[in-house]
Amino acid sequence: MLEIAVRHAFPGFTLDAALTAPPGVTVLFGRSGSGKTTLVDAVAGLLMPDAGRIAAGDLVLLDTERGVRLPPHRRRLGYVFQDGRLLPHLTVRRNLAYGAWFAPRGAPREDMGRVVELLGIGHLLDRRPAALSGGEKQRVAIGRALLSAPRLILADEPLAALDEARKAEILPYFERLRDEVSVPILYVSHSATEVARLATTVVALEAGRVVAQGPAAEVLGDPAVLPAGAREAGAVLAAVVVRHHSDGLSELDAGGLALFLPRVAQPPGAALRVRIAAHDVILSRGRPEGLSALNVLPGVVREVRPGEGPGAIVALDTPAGRLLARITRRSAAALELAPGVAAHAVVKTVSVAPSDVGGGRRAG
Amino acid sequence: MADWLSPAEWEAVRLSLRVAFWATLFSLPIGIPVAYALARWRFPGREALNVLVHLPLIMPPVVTGYLLLLTFGTRGPVGGFLDSALDLTFAFRWTGAALAAGVMAFPFMVRAVRLSIEAVDPKLEQAASTLGASRPWVFLTVTLPLILPGIIAGTVLAFAKGMGEFGATITFVSNIPGQTRTIPLAIDLLLETPGGEARAARLAGLSIMLAATALALSEWISRRVASRVGGR
Amino acid sequence: MSKPIRRRRAAGAAALALAIAAAVPASAETVTVFAAASLTDALAEIETRFEAVTGHDVAVSLAGSSALARQIRHGAPADVFVSADPGWMDVLEADGLVEPGTRFDLLRNRLVLVAHGRGAEPVEIGPETDLVGLLGDGRLAMALVEAVPAGRYGKAALESLGLWDAVEDRVAQTDNVRAALALVALGEAPYGIVYATDAGAEDDVTVVGRFPAETHPPITYPAAGVAGRTGPAAAAFLSYLRGPAAREAFDAAGFGMARE
Repeated sequence: MLEIAVRHAFPGFTLDAALTAPPGVTVLFGRSGSGKTTLVDAVAGLLMPDAGRIAAGDLVLLDTERGVRLPPHRRRLGYVFQDGRLLPHLTVRRNLAYGAWFAPRGAPREDMGRVVELLGIGHLLDRRPAALSGGEKQRVAIGRALLSAPRLILADEPLAALDEARKAEILPYFERLRDEVSVPILYVSHSATEVARLATTVVALEAGRVVAQGPAAEVLGDPAVLPAGAREAGAVLAAVVVRHHSDGLSELDAGGLALFLPRVAQPPGAALRVRIAAHDVILSRGRPEGLSALNVLPGVVREVRPGEGPGAIVALDTPAGRLLARITRRSAAALELAPGVAAHAVVKTVSVAPSDVGGGRRAG
Repeated sequence: MADWLSPAEWEAVRLSLRVAFWATLFSLPIGIPVAYALARWRFPGREALNVLVHLPLIMPPVVTGYLLLLTFGTRGPVGGFLDSALDLTFAFRWTGAALAAGVMAFPFMVRAVRLSIEAVDPKLEQAASTLGASRPWVFLTVTLPLILPGIIAGTVLAFAKGMGEFGATITFVSNIPGQTRTIPLAIDLLLETPGGEARAARLAGLSIMLAATALALSEWISRRVASRVGGR
Repeated sequence: MSKPIRRRRAAGAAALALAIAAAVPASAETVTVFAAASLTDALAEIETRFEAVTGHDVAVSLAGSSALARQIRHGAPADVFVSADPGWMDVLEADGLVEPGTRFDLLRNRLVLVAHGRGAEPVEIGPETDLVGLLGDGRLAMALVEAVPAGRYGKAALESLGLWDAVEDRVAQTDNVRAALALVALGEAPYGIVYATDAGAEDDVTVVGRFPAETHPPITYPAAGVAGRTGPAAAAFLSYLRGPAAREAFDAAGFGMARE
């Protein structure tokens, strides 16, 4: 359990945030400049905030009131940087071992072989960082952080510098980390997809303040909280793979409702998270007939939140979970959508991208 | 080859190598920390330290030699103390020639090392500290390997300067065969002896060869080290 | 007017112009003098007097005679050379660098042993002198014994007394005799061999012994004009050196005048 309370003033911007990070992946979600990196640097000890208290379990890393400040090298946190920061004069093997060398004797250690396998970097061990691709570098960086026997892993937008293909390649490794390694992860991101796929807990930051924190599905399904903006809004559903059809579709069970997606990689019985972007959801009062869309989910309107422009976000509670729909205010008025009203959400199968589907534990 | 120079001249060569070697050897453990402090730390007196380090570069060598004489001579405050406490004499000995060479070469060493420290990305050092390395370990395992080419360059520069030092040496420890008559002092003497020009020329030629070899060697080593660090 | 008369008139006018030109000293000519370091104080005095009397400017460069000779051989712009031993003047003469007819012996000097301090013990200089014992841990300051005259005379003197071999590796050799004197004055070297005339220049130095004249070749300072550069001003300076005003300055410094 990580407890963070930090206050730091920059010219033109003040960070004042308090949050708790339970086990699993806690994502600091927000736009650029919302203070996410500052927060993570404060946890790592690379930034000394004006005031604050940071505790990892029962170890206090920082307490400005009592004058406690552990230097970075004693905090035992594994930091995966956006730019990798592999040591250029060491081979991959030595880079991986670097953190392990400094870990205190009694600390629980990961096995190098297991980590190498987890991250698929066995064939890179004798190369130098200069001979690695961006994606390979990040995987080695993750491995290096893991092998330093950390109490906590920090990741500051580790995928931001990679192209879409690399991101798709590496995201599963983080999912594996979340599911197979017991070390909690504090992950910074401004990408709704990454958040949806990885987060156990979401802490939404806006202009240096925490505007929401809680289980991922809850925070992402809250129309009042749109840390990355209305365009990026999307809720997360938990579903189980039922079967794969021969025409390239996979059928999932989401809370008893059938959900059809383009073929997913996971086998029947696997638990998945599926992100449904708000702008891919159409609403109708009655159950629509004769539509091409395969996914029609009945539910009850929970909240209608008009935006500043023509749009409005509607939160719909369905047996599959909370869904967000982004429609025009005109339509919301025309359909007389209000809390408690029954409505159906229509989601096109093909609008769900492979990157919106992730393996793993239930989304809170 | 042995007849090419007289025994006295070979003695000057051996003495020059010895003087330059020790001068460089002692400049390293002082020069690297000074370069690091100037490159990475902010402290009151930083500019003053910078000026002090560069003084031998900008003062006339004879003045430097004279100051060394006043300080490290048998009657000087430091020289007298070292003589009585540690039985270490600089006056009129090769140790004094090494001290003069070391002092004159010091700014070259510091400049080269400082430049290479400033080229090391502090973010790498940050990353190392998050992995559990304390400041001294970060220096040893990250900074030092990365600045090795710079250290080599500084060492060779200092060595070459030490081999060529004249003004401070002759003013501080005068021209004593076998003790302080390094190649430059020997050449100076030969130029003033009637008929000595030819021998002076030979000695000068050898001196140039030695410097060129040192330079080529340092380039080669630098390139090898740089490629290892750069990760080919 | 006939041609021959015109020619004679023209010649006469030219001769007159030349005479006028020769009679009027070209104002503020500079005479560059290269002189042995031991002449520092005496020449300072002479320079001032000469400049006052003639209006010419004198630039004096002082160093070991060996260094000066080398510079002249490489084309240094000296007009007059005063060397501390005939040997270096001979070298220049052999190279054709001395203006014929301008060389003469100017001064004599004596060689002395000096010690640090104002009241040092006198030393008997002879074959029995225990120079090494006197030096103890310290060194004997001398000018370069292979090149600079003061050093060469000193070595010759010690050799003829049979003292050179013992003291050879205790010598600290300097570029010129004044530098050796400075070492003794600073106390860095307890003893030194310099000219008698040098001892007066430093307060912290005492003459503790004189080298007998037989122990070394006579110390003669020749002076001469440099070939092709001995103009009227330079010639005037050389004459001045032999005159009464200069003699006074040399006497005050302790030099003996050479017999012509």
